[in-house]
Amino acid sequence: MAADTLTADILGSEASEGAGVPGAPETAGALTADRARPSRRAARLRLLLTPAAVCAVLAALYAWVSAQDLDSIEQRSLNPSVILTKAAEHLEMTLAATALVVVIAIPLGIVASRSRNRIATPVILTAANLGQAVPCIGLLVLCTFLMGVGFQTALVGLVAYSVLPVLRNTMVGVQQVDPALVEAARGMGMTRGQVLRRVELRLAVPAILAGLRTALVLTVGVATLGAFVAAGGFGELIINGLKLNRMPVTVVGGVLTACIAFLIDWLGALAENVLRPRGL
Amino acid sequence: MFDTETEGARIELRALTKHYPGQPAPAVDNVDLDIPAGELVVFVGPSGCGKTTTMKMINRLVEPTSGEIRIGGKDVLSLQPDELRRHIGYAIQQVGLFPHLTIGQNIGLVPKLLGWPAARIAARVEELLSLVNLEPSLFHDRYPRQLSGGQQQRVGVARALAADPPVMLMDEPFGATDPITREHLQKEFVRLQKRLRKTIIFVTHDFEEAIKLGDRIVVLRERSHIAQYDTPAEILARPADDYVAGFVGQDATLKRLALLRVEDVAPVGPPQPTGLPQVAAGTSLREALDVMIAHGSDRCSSPSGVLTYAALCGVVGTGRPSSTGQEPEAVPSLPAPEKVVAGGR
Repeated sequence: MAADTLTADILGSEASEGAGVPGAPETAGALTADRARPSRRAARLRLLLTPAAVCAVLAALYAWVSAQDLDSIEQRSLNPSVILTKAAEHLEMTLAATALVVVIAIPLGIVASRSRNRIATPVILTAANLGQAVPCIGLLVLCTFLMGVGFQTALVGLVAYSVLPVLRNTMVGVQQVDPALVEAARGMGMTRGQVLRRVELRLAVPAILAGLRTALVLTVGVATLGAFVAAGGFGELIINGLKLNRMPVTVVGGVLTACIAFLIDWLGALAENVLRPRGL
Repeated sequence: MFDTETEGARIELRALTKHYPGQPAPAVDNVDLDIPAGELVVFVGPSGCGKTTTMKMINRLVEPTSGEIRIGGKDVLSLQPDELRRHIGYAIQQVGLFPHLTIGQNIGLVPKLLGWPAARIAARVEELLSLVNLEPSLFHDRYPRQLSGGQQQRVGVARALAADPPVMLMDEPFGATDPITREHLQKEFVRLQKRLRKTIIFVTHDFEEAIKLGDRIVVLRERSHIAQYDTPAEILARPADDYVAGFVGQDATLKRLALLRVEDVAPVGPPQPTGLPQVAAGTSLREALDVMIAHGSDRCSSPSGVLTYAALCGVVGTGRPSSTGQEPEAVPSLPAPEKVVAGGR
């Protein structure tokens, strides 16, 4: 028994010595795993931080509003059914706009990244830059003249505003792929389409997701302007509160918008962790 | 795709030219070259001499401006380029393993492109990992960044071999590794090639590497003009001109000794296990000479008999007064050079 343990100990210590030899094949993985473990735990804690903070803020907001003596105008805005409706409208606008951005910006980003489209790239980038540089509220007003008020008008403004980060990140993400990988892929007999789908886009996923996350957070904020074109959302609470001089209504609208932005950013971080190709 | 499916296929280049638009001179100018099936031919030359461009025209990563390329008798320029490349192994200096794919997926990529069934791919990946001395169970599911440089190079070679192509193109595949790993990989690779007998075009700027690996060497000057095309022993013994001699360097005789084994010299007497410095069977003559110098002796003993300094000189010496057209002894370990077209204009 004792002898067995001793042998095991010796073997164990030998094994760990072997693991210390630089370049020993088995060690590379183990070392990275060891180094990664504490940072991974920290990352996991950080992931819990956002929802916890949002919950705390929401609880504080609820407590504060409950403590107020609300008049009939305030009560008409600050009740669960209105708030849920506005939240649904706000999210609907954000998600619809983002879905459109994905459909528009990722293909455009790919087109802009191709070296043979050297002429198209500046045109695409300028258009996307304009979308973000033109004040969104001005754009919304212009769109109202063309399309009238409503959800669709708000979407146009939102999409124009948030195309740039996704487009630019897609372009850069594809361009930054090591040319040696593209050459290896071509040399192995992949078609251009296969190289794009199986190599370039896969490796650009982290950059594209980061762009999407930025776009989502931007959209949540800008979606408050949707209230000006009667598309609903938390913007309505903010504007009504300002118009009627009811501070609690404005505060609730503003804080809830911020909470949604934080939560969406958090979901974006989760998605980045899950969807990033392993091995990178 | 090619008639000889797995063993090497003959490669013929005819008047192959690449002229990039806007350049005053062609990058590759009118190259004629025959590469016999199953041989490893090294393209060696200074950087920018067009050796890589010449190689890349064979799998059409670079489209020739004019000329002809035939592999196993088939006109390469009439084939679909992507399909063609799936049947030509390709390994590059940067290795180019896909970081988002496991080692197994990286190696199995070309078979997958060719539509092999999953079971056959899996078996092939296992076989190749063992072939390049990587334990399949350990490495199959790892990602490239978890491997050392040398291990990545081996995976690169395994990946190039994946679909068992008759022809392989290798662009300094061991270039990015440290000298020790490099030598190890080269030795392994020579052993591998002895078994597989692929037709390999190997590009390097390192003449030592060319001597170690090549059945034949093509020494190139600018615009891919062929300065000399011959076996390593011939190039070392009889460089065609000063340019080639410059490449060979000052120690050509030592390099030739390194190509020969103690068994290649007629012994002056039976082995003497005592009283003389000993060398093992299969030792190169260069190492045997090293042993003699180290022991201050003009002879040493190997299992095949006693070897003298004079015998060594007899094998490689060219400055002897009696060298009236006398050939140095033929190199038994290398195939005798057959008549091949060699010449660029």
